[in-house]
Amino acid sequence: MIQINDLTKVYKLTKKQMTEQKTKKNMMKAVDKLSLRAKPGEIYGLLGPNGAGKTTVLRCIATLLKPTQGDITVKGYDTVKDSENVRKTIGFLTNEIKLDPQFSPRYMFGFFGRLHGLNEEAIDKRREELFDYFGIKDFEDKKIDELSSGMKQKASLAVSLVHNPEVIIFDEPTNGLDIITARNVTDYLKLLRNEGKTVIISTHIMTEAEKLCDRIGIIINGILVTEGSLAEILEKTDSKDLEDAFFELFKIYNKEEE
Amino acid sequence: MEGIKNIIKKELTRVFTDKKLVISLFILPGVLIMVMYSIMGGLISNLEKDIEAHIPTVYIQNAPEDFGYIIDIVDYSGHITYLASSDSTDSITDGILKGDIDLLVIFDEDFRETIQSYKEIGDAIPEVRTFYNPTEDYSNAAKGNFTASVLYTYQQSLLAERFGNIEQLQIFHIDRNPDAGIIVDESKASGKFLAMLLPFLINIMLFQGAMGLGMDSITGEKERGTLASMLLSPIKRSEIVFGKLISLGILTSLSAVIYTVSVVIGIQRLSGGATGLMGNIKFTPVQIIQLFAMLIVLVYLYVSMVALVAVYARTQKEAGTYVTPLYILVMLGSIMTMFSSGAEKGIEYYAIPIYNGAIAMQDLLVGELTMAKFGVTVGSLALVAFLLTTLITRAFNSERVMFNA
Repeated sequence: MIQINDLTKVYKLTKKQMTEQKTKKNMMKAVDKLSLRAKPGEIYGLLGPNGAGKTTVLRCIATLLKPTQGDITVKGYDTVKDSENVRKTIGFLTNEIKLDPQFSPRYMFGFFGRLHGLNEEAIDKRREELFDYFGIKDFEDKKIDELSSGMKQKASLAVSLVHNPEVIIFDEPTNGLDIITARNVTDYLKLLRNEGKTVIISTHIMTEAEKLCDRIGIIINGILVTEGSLAEILEKTDSKDLEDAFFELFKIYNKEEE
Repeated sequence: MEGIKNIIKKELTRVFTDKKLVISLFILPGVLIMVMYSIMGGLISNLEKDIEAHIPTVYIQNAPEDFGYIIDIVDYSGHITYLASSDSTDSITDGILKGDIDLLVIFDEDFRETIQSYKEIGDAIPEVRTFYNPTEDYSNAAKGNFTASVLYTYQQSLLAERFGNIEQLQIFHIDRNPDAGIIVDESKASGKFLAMLLPFLINIMLFQGAMGLGMDSITGEKERGTLASMLLSPIKRSEIVFGKLISLGILTSLSAVIYTVSVVIGIQRLSGGATGLMGNIKFTPVQIIQLFAMLIVLVYLYVSMVALVAVYARTQKEAGTYVTPLYILVMLGSIMTMFSSGAEKGIEYYAIPIYNGAIAMQDLLVGELTMAKFGVTVGSLALVAFLLTTLITRAFNSERVMFNA
């Protein structure tokens, strides 16, 4: 389970970043007093436009970033005070975090398995399962450098799940994937949910959120503007589909920010 | 500990399974160094042989009548042209300047007569003047040879003519056999040559190795986004730092060994006998341990210096820019030992990092490193390296440094 309480994340900007973003403020609030709870056996989707703060939230959960204010617990472990235990519990995947291109998926799988404290036997068993499911076996000994982006994504996916984590965090899980691989990934996420795992993803694709997520939180300018199941959100905003609902909310909250 | 072991294993596997990396890091530099020194050595000996084989063009003005006889006796080989006192020498000095002519020798007019008529102090003494161009190797050699063989012999024969018994002038000999008089500790003598060169080479080679590898293994990983995946594993950041530093240390030491061996082989080719002296160096077991300990802390220091820069740099290009001043610093520290006198240095000098490594190694090679100096050197190097490691760990924990956040 993931519990976020009043998470605020402020970035200090360098002079260069200030000119790039055309701002005179040297602080940027990426996330503002955000609270949410993702439960076991559900897929929670953070939906929002680019730059809304989705990735920041996920990175804070994954212990890569420290909250400026507020706190996050994963399965009861605090992400700041007990970050090592949090990292044992989670599997985190994003396009920006990559596997060393010099190695094969097989080697990387073993390496990260050992870093997670698994013994060789457990690693072999887990590799059999995951490589079989994702169809990695054909290229498991090829250098990652030589793989197509779809193959790379599959390999990253398998490696991030080596320790069979109870909490899965995915930043834009289907971004850049072809339609078949994307379906493969979303199917696997559903499987994980059905196994009782906690899954939280970020996405800016409305249909993905509609089809995949049990609950959706819409985030605009670092603020969680609404949260609930698809039906609840449609009812609250009096819209036909998620896209309409999003733009209703976007009209209200983007103006307020200005 | 498991984490550190795993990371070291992965880092070493990464380097040794990449053929291009192995070639560019270890094999190519080693071969290039050897080839470079060998070519240099070959060129120098060719040059020497060429000068030896060259037959100089010599002009002699006002040569005394018996001078030709002397030239025959010493078997001087040269294209000699004799000039009369009325001939102009302008075109000849011009030729020397251009390097076409090697030497002009001018005897005073009435050279023989002036010598003959010498009676007492104050009487005229004639002169032989030689004109040559010291920037031309042929001309320089021609002047040296001509003076030493022809003119000296001529002078001796005229002295014999004047005094009959030339031994009266000799009075006494100085070192008829100079080599027999040299009293030296062979090991220290060869140590002295190496003491000048080796600390410099080792310092530079170690740092160079650390530089290439460190930037790839830290900044490179950051740039490629592969470091973040390691930050997500449930191990302490300090374990990642130590894993990286130790594997870098191993690789750096390896490359330093390869480079140093190549340099030594290369120099042997370069100077023939000079490094034959190396066989004379004998280390005591204590000295070997001291050298080993110093090399290890030096590697640790250099690796952490490079790693600190590498972790702050965003791109490898940036890292390259930042690391250059450090490289110059290391060079400066080690060059200073090459030109310092043998004077005993105070113990405080051994507390200056980088410089102390070089002077301590120098002392060790000539057998003058005391335990106190050794202790201060290793202690101060290790202290600085440890402080740097703390800073690196802090950087690994900083989201600003790691994720540019």
